[in-house]
Amino acid sequence: MSGVSQNIDISFEAISSSTDGNGGVLHGELLSKLSEALWSKNLNELTAVREELVNAAGADVFVDAVGVSAMFHMMTRIADGTGTPLDAGTDEPSADIREAIGVNDLVSRRHMAT
Amino acid sequence: MSTYTTELPIRPELDAAHGDLATRWATPSHSWSSKQRLSVIAEVRRAIDADELAPWEAPSSIEGFIANNHPLPDAAIDVIWRLTNHPGTLTKEWYESIISRNIDPVAYVELVGLVAQANCVDRFADGLGVKRVDLPDPIATKTAVMSELEVSVTTHWVPTAATKGPNVLKALSSVPFENESREILSSVQYVPTAALLGDLTSGYNSLTRLQIELVAARTSKLNECFY
Repeated sequence: MSGVSQNIDISFEAISSSTDGNGGVLHGELLSKLSEALWSKNLNELTAVREELVNAAGADVFVDAVGVSAMFHMMTRIADGTGTPLDAGTDEPSADIREAIGVNDLVSRRHMAT
Repeated sequence: MSTYTTELPIRPELDAAHGDLATRWATPSHSWSSKQRLSVIAEVRRAIDADELAPWEAPSSIEGFIANNHPLPDAAIDVIWRLTNHPGTLTKEWYESIISRNIDPVAYVELVGLVAQANCVDRFADGLGVKRVDLPDPIATKTAVMSELEVSVTTHWVPTAATKGPNVLKALSSVPFENESREILSSVQYVPTAALLGDLTSGYNSLTRLQIELVAARTSKLNECFY
């Protein structure tokens, strides 16, 4: 929705992997790579992508991106720890996106009872 | 006084929020004492730093893994490790098995809130390569007030209050104090809830909304979160 409202051509590959493009997002590949390094806790990868991102976008972008990623380590645990289902009305509209980013087979898949 | 000592440009409101969270972690609740709540955070740190156990390996099933004088019940420690290291593997049957071990559902929700917050705050520090937030001493007095909210099991595994908004924001609604802690972090590390759907074009902090959503989605996918 954000991309549509800004008339920007975005796609979903950067959500699936950091090696498939930037998804139409400025520094998208690096941001995706940073998310992967934070998740894997791989210090060498983190050091390398930190340097790349700071050089390309600035230290403030690096800090805020780490903040957003850390935030979603929280939100995913809240959703999956409480059995949070997809919101009513989002199931059908999100079907194509779910297919594109490959999340339909996850153990954590939960829908609202209809 | 700053929460973090670093030359990195951490926004003052984010730095202050993490300091506030540490104080909130020490605040006793109806379900858990101050010492127990701080033990939850310490156990999350142990789980993040350790070699991971497989999802099916519960700490309580491993001889000598949990100290005899640990302030938390074994079931709570099993929740902390599984939720920290394998959040995408949880099932309703697993949740019910935890509740059957004398963990009250609302106490469980509070536990989820604390584990999730610690994963947020500590992974932020780890990602920047700075020292994690210092934990305060436990508060001796019991100041907790029990929530008078009416809660019931409707859409989630856990009981929730009848509040409006996205399901994930409703998830901790049976423990308003933890929902407030979530909102404190969200407003400095993501976007304020009020702007969640209303303003999709403004840049928040140094990132554009598109960049924010990319990092959010990639992190959620890595954690195998369907929601």
